[in-house]
Amino acid sequence: MTLSVHLDTLGSAQRTLLRDLRLAVPPGAVLTLMGPSGSGKSSLLAAIAGTLASVAEGAQALRFKGRIHLNGVDLTHTPTAQRSIGLLFQDPLLFAHLTVAENLLFAVPPGPRAQRQAAVQQALADADLTGYGERDPATLSGGQRARVALMRALLAQPRALLLDEPFSRLDAALRDQFRAFVFEHIRARGIPAVLVTHDRADIADPARVLELPHAG
Amino acid sequence: MRHPLAALLLLIAGLPLLVTGALALGALFDAGAWQALAQEPQWPRALALSLWTGLASTALAWWATRALLAQAFVQQRLARLLRGLPAMLATPHAAFAIGLAFLLAPSGWVLRALSPWLTGFDFPPPWPTTQDPWGLGLIAALVLKEIPFLLWTAATQLQRDDVRQRWQAEHALAQTLGYAPRQAFDRVVWPQLAPRLTGPLVAVLAYGLTVVDMALVLGPASPPTLAVLAWQWLQDADPATNAQGAAAGGVLAFAVGVSVALWRAGQALAARHTRRGSGARGRTPAAGPVHGSRGAWLLVAVYAAVLLALAVGSVAGVWPFPALWPDTLTLQAWASVWASRGTVLTTLGLAVASAALALAWSVAWLEAAPRRWDAALRPLLYAPLVLPAVLWVVGLYSLALWLRLEGRWPALLLAHTLMALPYVLLALAPAYTGFDPRYRAISDSLGRSRAHFLLRIKWPLLRRALAASAAVGFAVSVAQYLPTLYLGAGRWATVTTEAVTLAAGAQRSLTSAYAGLQFVLPVLGFALAAWVGRPRRFTVAPT
Repeated sequence: MTLSVHLDTLGSAQRTLLRDLRLAVPPGAVLTLMGPSGSGKSSLLAAIAGTLASVAEGAQALRFKGRIHLNGVDLTHTPTAQRSIGLLFQDPLLFAHLTVAENLLFAVPPGPRAQRQAAVQQALADADLTGYGERDPATLSGGQRARVALMRALLAQPRALLLDEPFSRLDAALRDQFRAFVFEHIRARGIPAVLVTHDRADIADPARVLELPHAG
Repeated sequence: MRHPLAALLLLIAGLPLLVTGALALGALFDAGAWQALAQEPQWPRALALSLWTGLASTALAWWATRALLAQAFVQQRLARLLRGLPAMLATPHAAFAIGLAFLLAPSGWVLRALSPWLTGFDFPPPWPTTQDPWGLGLIAALVLKEIPFLLWTAATQLQRDDVRQRWQAEHALAQTLGYAPRQAFDRVVWPQLAPRLTGPLVAVLAYGLTVVDMALVLGPASPPTLAVLAWQWLQDADPATNAQGAAAGGVLAFAVGVSVALWRAGQALAARHTRRGSGARGRTPAAGPVHGSRGAWLLVAVYAAVLLALAVGSVAGVWPFPALWPDTLTLQAWASVWASRGTVLTTLGLAVASAALALAWSVAWLEAAPRRWDAALRPLLYAPLVLPAVLWVVGLYSLALWLRLEGRWPALLLAHTLMALPYVLLALAPAYTGFDPRYRAISDSLGRSRAHFLLRIKWPLLRRALAASAAVGFAVSVAQYLPTLYLGAGRWATVTTEAVTLAAGAQRSLTSAYAGLQFVLPVLGFALAAWVGRPRRFTVAPT
């Protein structure tokens, strides 16, 4: 299950953010994308996830030219909902009107009720949050919310994971813990992941770092 | 066509708006009407009265808003100032005018409270305190009704965290340069806030110049303001007089345009003056306990008195002059309201249906239309807010005639929905367009369909804004006077048409009852919206 991106250009009509970029991430590996603000890191993630339209809403529309393959299948024109690519943002973005368990249940694919509930309970246990299912997400700590967000992304059984500075809002101690937690899950699942960050300490694998240049 | 749904929606709302506007302006191309108007001796004075009441009320409301905001900002009591606003905003213009008329009338509470110990009156004096020929009562009512609106629009700017923090920092900085708090507000905060209030201000100015229902209750009578005069002509049986009324509406539209231009020129001049400044620092008040804002209290007190006057008035039986309280209380007025409950049902039916239609359209539009389209449509949508109502109903009526709907319920529904639409969209748009697009990305990446996302995530999360904007649409519909009477050809009565019509007569209790209902219905709407939009109560309490 390799994620490969073959990018010709990414940018708006006025400004090209990125051009001629190739990347391939094997299963279980984490590619770290670094670069200055505005270099197009997050836009690249949005292009891979197929959510460019929502990123560019209001401002200039961004266009992606190139190909995205996952496990040899061309996903370039597949709608986001059918790509099976998970997303994790800076903010946990838990749905405020749902309990923690309902947030997780939202991600579980259709199936027998008991089985879906069991998946949620298992995820809560994995996140060290057993018994927190009925809580209002707003009552969780920052670290707990981050873990729920990761669990929610994983429950949809993604075949790749995109991480958009998911550690930057956490304080130093939590950050190390949560980073280890995320990388461990990615390895265990054997899915490719792309991580965008400003912080060298976040680099998962020094052999897999891509520095994006200034946009020009 | 890349956005078929948005195009369809544009057609549904844009076409009637455009046709109505075109028909209204088309009625002005009638040379005979203009000649008739030119020979009509009353209108120049009526126009002068309209300009006087509209401009004076706008200037006073603007000045009072600035003073109240400055005080609240300097004392950091903004939240407190805004607490009473929702009820004031929900009070319909006509109901407020009627209540104020009852307070100010020679037999009203104000004079009762002062008689006979101060005034020596044992009978109500024959004073023209309501419908005074100078339009002072109308100006007072307009000022009091527009202050909450301006405060509220200013508050939506000031309550954005990023904006407030920056302005507070700049305000503090100006004080470190030696400016007194109030001076610092005038020099630093207000010049940044005022330009953002231009839209609401234009609406206030246009409303003040063209209002009919309030002017019928409180405004001068002979001559009346030009809007009332036009309205009388429009209701005439003679088509030539109707055309003359439309022409007077055209004069009003022109007056609105000129007034807006003059106002903005004056504001630009004042802004230039402020920017240069004299360097005077103002006097810093001596340290000590800060006194509460008396202006804000006065505003609340007037609204409370108006509503109390309506409530007591609706159950008052025999009530001899200087007595502060009626001798007998009776439910007769409410019994006759109940006897003609069809009126209330018509009001409710129209309000629910038009609010629902306006909400459904607004949600679909905000969901489907590209931002560029939305920005392009806004000026057209605001046409009903800025065009004089007397002119707007002319267009609506022509449209209804053409659709063969005049005097029928669907015509009323069309008119009410078109009026509610801009308000509902204005109320909903900030929350709806501000919805974090990353939620959609998350939902998509979890493999959920768009319908699932809308039904399970977005609309539930926006429940409060959706309910509140529906309530706004409901309130706008309840308050409609001109379109209801004119398109209903007098065959449909709502609580608003009843209240305004009765206000001309002497039945204080029945008028109060209908005016009270006119206030109660929207308040119930807002209360229901607050209940529907309440945040979810999670069963497990945080430990």
